Amino acid sequence: MAKYFGGCDVGSTYGKCVILDETGKIVGDATVRSKINPVETANMALSEAISKVEGLNGPEELTYLVGTGYGRNKVPFADENISEISCHAMGVHITDPTITGIIDIGGQDVKGIAVDSDGTVKNFAMNDKCAAGTGKFFEGMARAFELPLDEFCRLSLKAKNVIPITAQCAVFAESEVISLVGEGKPREEIAAGLQVSIAKRCFVMAKKAGTDGKITLTGGCAKNEGLKKAIEQVLRIKVAELPIDPQLMGALGAAEYARQLGM
Amino acid sequence: MKDLKHIHYYEELLEDANNSLVRHARSEGNIAAGYTCYYVPEVLLNLDKAFSIRLRAPRTGSLDISQYYMSSFICGYSRALFERAFEGGYNFIDYWCSSETCQQMNRVVENVHELKLINNEKFGHGIIDAPLKVSEHGLKHYITQIKAEILEPLNKKYGVDISDDSIRKAVKEHNELCAIFEEISELRKDENPRITPREMHILSLVSYACPTSLILPYLKETLEDLRERKADETNRWRARFVVVGSELDDYTFSEIMESCRAYVVADRYCFGTIPGRTRIPLNDDAPALEQVCRYYLDTNMCPRFMSQEKVMQRHEEILKYAKDFKADGIIYEQAKFCDFWGYERLIGPAYIKDKSDIPVMTVDREYVISGSGQLMTRVQAFVESLTLKKKQKERGKK
Repeated sequence: MAKYFGGCDVGSTYGKCVILDETGKIVGDATVRSKINPVETANMALSEAISKVEGLNGPEELTYLVGTGYGRNKVPFADENISEISCHAMGVHITDPTITGIIDIGGQDVKGIAVDSDGTVKNFAMNDKCAAGTGKFFEGMARAFELPLDEFCRLSLKAKNVIPITAQCAVFAESEVISLVGEGKPREEIAAGLQVSIAKRCFVMAKKAGTDGKITLTGGCAKNEGLKKAIEQVLRIKVAELPIDPQLMGALGAAEYARQLGM
Repeated sequence: MKDLKHIHYYEELLEDANNSLVRHARSEGNIAAGYTCYYVPEVLLNLDKAFSIRLRAPRTGSLDISQYYMSSFICGYSRALFERAFEGGYNFIDYWCSSETCQQMNRVVENVHELKLINNEKFGHGIIDAPLKVSEHGLKHYITQIKAEILEPLNKKYGVDISDDSIRKAVKEHNELCAIFEEISELRKDENPRITPREMHILSLVSYACPTSLILPYLKETLEDLRERKADETNRWRARFVVVGSELDDYTFSEIMESCRAYVVADRYCFGTIPGRTRIPLNDDAPALEQVCRYYLDTNMCPRFMSQEKVMQRHEEILKYAKDFKADGIIYEQAKFCDFWGYERLIGPAYIKDKSDIPVMTVDREYVISGSGQLMTRVQAFVESLTLKKKQKERGKK
């Protein structure tokens, strides 16, 4: 009978699940919007990913399951939980072993992670009880611009200039943005200012963690093209592209740990 | 493991600064002497009918009032004490013994005094000026300050016996308490210890937050229980850590450590057992007061001391704990806006990394820790950075 290994990353805004076979190949994955109850989020993500694997009928049939993310303790049927910091490092490592630095921008925090040659964490830094630079921050800003999130994230790419945003706090930055929009400033330039201010925050996390060499972005905000461009400018690097959805890196790392532990 | 004897009672005592043992001591006419800092020798507040209470603010909520009177850039501990005083939570204190060692705490005491926040007609306060360097001159100054700001007021205002005999009696009782902790601390060196970090933190906290004479009999029974206690057959701890840092009176921190299966082998922070729970040696050659003051200056490891020998003493002591207690890592914890530990948190880990290969993590934290998922993630990731690396090495060998 085939063995399958699961990783379930219960984040504050999205729940992600990856299922690997014995060779480490991804056979199922899912990304679902988080519910208020992390158990419900985990169940939804697991069910959707499992439904994509023929012959797998439920999480109890997984040989080994690892929970990660802020709701890592709440994943039903999990054999173990591992922090998202370790899981992102492993997820990126098995995707591209030449990458040694990660900026993980999740729904409620930002982390800088230095990855060791075996996929474990060499060092890390994370922000503290603050929404600045997180997915929540971008959601708030998109709301202020009255734009869908993906459209807001691309807006800054059209900017010819950058209007600096001084407020780091998500609440005050929103007020500042509303004032600037009210003054009739170009919206794309305000958006560019926001992306640069967050890129600077990411720079601090990456430096605090001691990352160097090849750096990539993970987490939902890795898909934010405007932010990626701003980070490349601020850090003066080329962000390494991942061949797998960067939002899945935590779940992928968790699944790989499940594979290693369950084999 | 079965519940440790009296542990639930201790938890109850820690729910309120004015706990049942404090109320009992005061009802018998004893004098409650509140203090916050190691610069104020605890044992000198336990003379005769006086008893020491190291001040905490359990169940702290919002700190808006203290923010108005002070600022949001003052450490949470100071603000929580002010807020609690404002709420009337310290009316049981008869004498507040403070020190000019931390300007933030100094402002708390000054505000409490200026605003007449303590509704207790006997209330008084004193603030000592402690030396910045340990020397004979500094010791002389320290003794003079302690006499003027603590002992003489206790004697004149409350009739407390501050004689040499009285000090020696207090030291004897203090050493009984410390002997208990020294024995329990040794148990933490075991590979599979029979006391958990949470339990140790609670024991340490009650020993500071209750009158010594009243908590001592309970702690003796707890020690007896520990002597007989057996650790669980399976060792659940994944890694062992020395925790060093600033004021920490919320045992949620140790619960977070436990939930990550991280064992605290040595606790060198304010309200921890090092150095506050080690016996004070006394001889008959010199006055007890002088010996006590010398001891407190010599063993004080507050980063307020910036002279080179004290800085080196702190770093070397931490390395020594790591070696003696077979620690896998060191965690520096800093209360946000603690000036001295903000500095130490940078230079301490740099020294440790330079002189050893022991991994170090630093964290800053709020006064109230509960609900801090991010702290748990950090601790867990640090534990994993040690344990998963070991596993990966083993996998590599196969």
